[in-house]
Amino acid sequence: MGILSLLLWMPALGAVFLAFAPGDKPRVIRCLAHLFSSVTLLLSLWLLIHYDQHNAATQFNENFPINPDLGSEYALGVDGLSLPMVLLATVLTSVALLASFSITDSIKGYHLCVLLLEFGILGVFLAQDWALFYTFWEVTLIPLFFLIGRWGGKRRHAASLNFVLYTMGGSVFMLLSLLAISEYDLEYEGTLMTSMHQMAKDMPWQEQVLVLLGFLIGFGVKLPIFPLHGWLPLAHVEAPSPISILLSGILLKMGAYGLIRVLVMLPEAAHILQPLLIFLGLFGMLYGGLLAWRQTDLKAMVAYSSVSHMGLVLLGMSTLTQLGLSGAVLQMTAHGLIAGALFLLVGLLYERTHTRNIQDYSSLVHTMPRYTLLMTLVLLAAMGLPGTVGFIAELSVLMAGYQQWGGLMVLFGMSMLITAAYCLRTIGVLFTGPVRPAMHAIPDLHSAGLLAAGILVVGIVLLGILPEALIQLSAATLSELSAVIKSRPL
Amino acid sequence: MDALTVFIPLLPLLAALIIGLGHFLGVLQGEAKESLTADISLWTLTLACLMALVVAGAELLGNNTGLFVVGDWLRCENVVVSVNFISSGFSVYVAALFALLLVIILRFSVNYLHRERGYFRFFFIYNLFAFAMLLLVLSGSSVLSFVGWEIAGLCSFLLIAYQYDRPVASGNAVRVFVTNRIGDTGFLMGMGLSVYWLNTLDWQAISHPVDRLGTAEATGIAFCFALAACAKSAQLPFTPWLARAMEGPTPSSAAFYGAVMIHAGVYLLILLQDLFEQAPMVMGLLVVVGALTALYSYLVGLTQTDIKSSLVFATSGQLGLMFMECGLGFWEIASWHLAAHAVVRGYQVLTAPSLLHNVHDNPIQAVSPLLAKSRWLYLASVQRFWLDQIADWALVKPVQQLAHDLSYFDDQGLDKVMGCSAPALNAAASLAQLKEHSIGARLNNVVDDFSHGSGLAGTLTQWAAAVMHWLEVRLVLRGISKATIGRSRNLGRRVNQIERTLLRPRYLVLFVCITLLVTF
Repeated sequence: MGILSLLLWMPALGAVFLAFAPGDKPRVIRCLAHLFSSVTLLLSLWLLIHYDQHNAATQFNENFPINPDLGSEYALGVDGLSLPMVLLATVLTSVALLASFSITDSIKGYHLCVLLLEFGILGVFLAQDWALFYTFWEVTLIPLFFLIGRWGGKRRHAASLNFVLYTMGGSVFMLLSLLAISEYDLEYEGTLMTSMHQMAKDMPWQEQVLVLLGFLIGFGVKLPIFPLHGWLPLAHVEAPSPISILLSGILLKMGAYGLIRVLVMLPEAAHILQPLLIFLGLFGMLYGGLLAWRQTDLKAMVAYSSVSHMGLVLLGMSTLTQLGLSGAVLQMTAHGLIAGALFLLVGLLYERTHTRNIQDYSSLVHTMPRYTLLMTLVLLAAMGLPGTVGFIAELSVLMAGYQQWGGLMVLFGMSMLITAAYCLRTIGVLFTGPVRPAMHAIPDLHSAGLLAAGILVVGIVLLGILPEALIQLSAATLSELSAVIKSRPL
Repeated sequence: MDALTVFIPLLPLLAALIIGLGHFLGVLQGEAKESLTADISLWTLTLACLMALVVAGAELLGNNTGLFVVGDWLRCENVVVSVNFISSGFSVYVAALFALLLVIILRFSVNYLHRERGYFRFFFIYNLFAFAMLLLVLSGSSVLSFVGWEIAGLCSFLLIAYQYDRPVASGNAVRVFVTNRIGDTGFLMGMGLSVYWLNTLDWQAISHPVDRLGTAEATGIAFCFALAACAKSAQLPFTPWLARAMEGPTPSSAAFYGAVMIHAGVYLLILLQDLFEQAPMVMGLLVVVGALTALYSYLVGLTQTDIKSSLVFATSGQLGLMFMECGLGFWEIASWHLAAHAVVRGYQVLTAPSLLHNVHDNPIQAVSPLLAKSRWLYLASVQRFWLDQIADWALVKPVQQLAHDLSYFDDQGLDKVMGCSAPALNAAASLAQLKEHSIGARLNNVVDDFSHGSGLAGTLTQWAAAVMHWLEVRLVLRGISKATIGRSRNLGRRVNQIERTLLRPRYLVLFVCITLLVTF
């Protein structure tokens, strides 16, 4: 059993242990869940240390045929594209568990679902076989359905149903596209990502475009792409805040990750659909930003800002150059940390005041100085202030976009301005202004909350000051991927 | 022994970080933790002082190599910013002296600040200052020295405004900081010219360039650094800031303006003595500035009526003399003068509160009759030669006027097009809301008011956002999501209906019959 299998099955093992744990002992359950998520985190760190970043190919490969009739295999592997996402997944799961102390209602099921969710997410990023990928993609839905529907806010049932319907609807298109590619399986090669690459080469470009559109719908629901983001505001707002962290921090990245893999698989179609991708990216950025600016609900604001930030990812990958892809991967990591931290901090605030309306807050700096510091840093990072990881990502995408389309990047600049507008307004309204009696005596961050937020903020600032390690981690793989795209122009 | 130089500045930084973080996280708070804070500061600074003394001893015995290189911090084409520390010569002795003085003043402040409101803040800033000064003195690269130079300036600002609730203190702090920034400009320009002409940022290479500099280039660089030194060491025309800087607590005054920081300018001159030797014009300038400052300080000092002010002008006078000595090329004398003055003045400022007791029976000597008779000179001295007023008139006023005009342009022109800045609007709006709330009236709808832009750009954004919102609600949320759910619900109902019909007994029997018919 290889390291990747160990990493992948560790949360599932934790879920099995939890299933047999006594349900009336919350301490035992929390300890078990934390233990398994920490071990997973340590395993992913071990992976990081032993990963050879100069090697562009997938590493730590594991192959094991599961269904010879269909040709599907249990194939795992990491490369520079998936390793940052694996790390993000393990870190954010640990952070989400740290933020889960406020959940006191049937915690056994809750922790079980979180570990299962981690299992599904890791599976998506580690799978090197499209059948396996699809399976894990669907696996993530089940725990999320329960997590939102059982522990969510007032409109949780509508939210969870909506979320599952949207994603299932998208996956149908993804499945159709995968089946369409396997039609060209002349030599019976199975469903491995590498062999599907070979099959896709034989497709005529018209079919490639149709297949890519199918993938765009499938992954676009998760990414999210306008107008397929209808599930996102509702699900993010209604989910309990630790789950919002995972939703926007890592679940959205699954869409972006899949889309990059597909763009490399269908380069001709990618070149044809490039204008559409750019339009969707830029429009998503402006659209999400403007709507975030309108929201009075803090969580809805962060949710729409996710739409805006993921538009940046789409814009980065639609350049189809190494710099743009690198910017997209950086923004995926950056947004994972920033949106995770934002949802965490908003959730911690909600626990204390039970209101999410921005206008109910005022002058928190007097009562919560530590919270103020962390929240301000994260909001500034969301703006893309230099010295934070958000800046590095925005800069890469901006440079890549400018090299290709020049003046069109004015829209990019406008979206940055809008982001700055709502981030700074939030800082202003939350922390300054006249002192209100209702805002007295709110306890500041401490213990678990402070630790969880601290980890994310330190990551945001550290990767912003020393981004080289993060860039180099995926550089080799991305240069190979962009070379593949470049080698097959229309 | 050379490697020790790295740790001399790092130890106080460590103490500053511990105290700062501890206070921030609420661990170091209250009277009970005062002794712990004092112990941390004292131990680290004493250790740094011992190291500095060891390095100085090793230098006396001739065991040091002169430079300890840690590595490169930044590489940009052919300019390298290296992290290195000077471990020989004047720098080491000055570091040892400063460290010793800093320890003594720190010990003094432990008792002096007992039960003060900003106890932890003071110790945090003091340790940061110790780090900055030792870094400034020991760094072999001008960039790191500049870091120390700036942090020392910042600490000075923070401690002058120690009682930040007093407007005089905070006003003076800003004035001192801004005056010092003029000198910082000189420092930065000096560094810029060094990169431009010499491709280096190391002190050693600036003093002894590989290809000899022309006089013009040497004069340019030397002038910039001389400007920095003048501002930091309160030479004319910057002298008035020193009198304003006495607002802080006594130990900080002693450390900053008696013993340590005020000498940074002279130290810079002595460090770059070989550069200055190549620039005779700047040397002449130093003599003139030093002499004028000494004379000015003597005359103004005669009319001072409080201890701290007279000490201030005595300090600037002595520093003027040091500048003169430097300008005349007596570097050795200037170095000794610096060391002796640091010790004496540090002691005097530290004991300023009890100085009146000590000199109780000594009457003040009368000034010479020639001076006593000249009334104009008296007036000028009392007014400190109107230097502050001149600076206000020549610099502050025009800037204020310009700011006023620009602000008018902003209000009348730009704001109408681009809209007011949001925070100001929000503050006003929330104040108004508070008022409404208190009188029980709800004059305007809060929700509509929230995403409100002003000016042309703001209004456009507002409209765009409104259109997007309409699109989102109608199309995405209601159109796709709700319609899908509604339609699938209808579909489900239909399917249920069909199933219910199919399950009626007559149809069931029919189906069974059909199946049997088909099979056989």
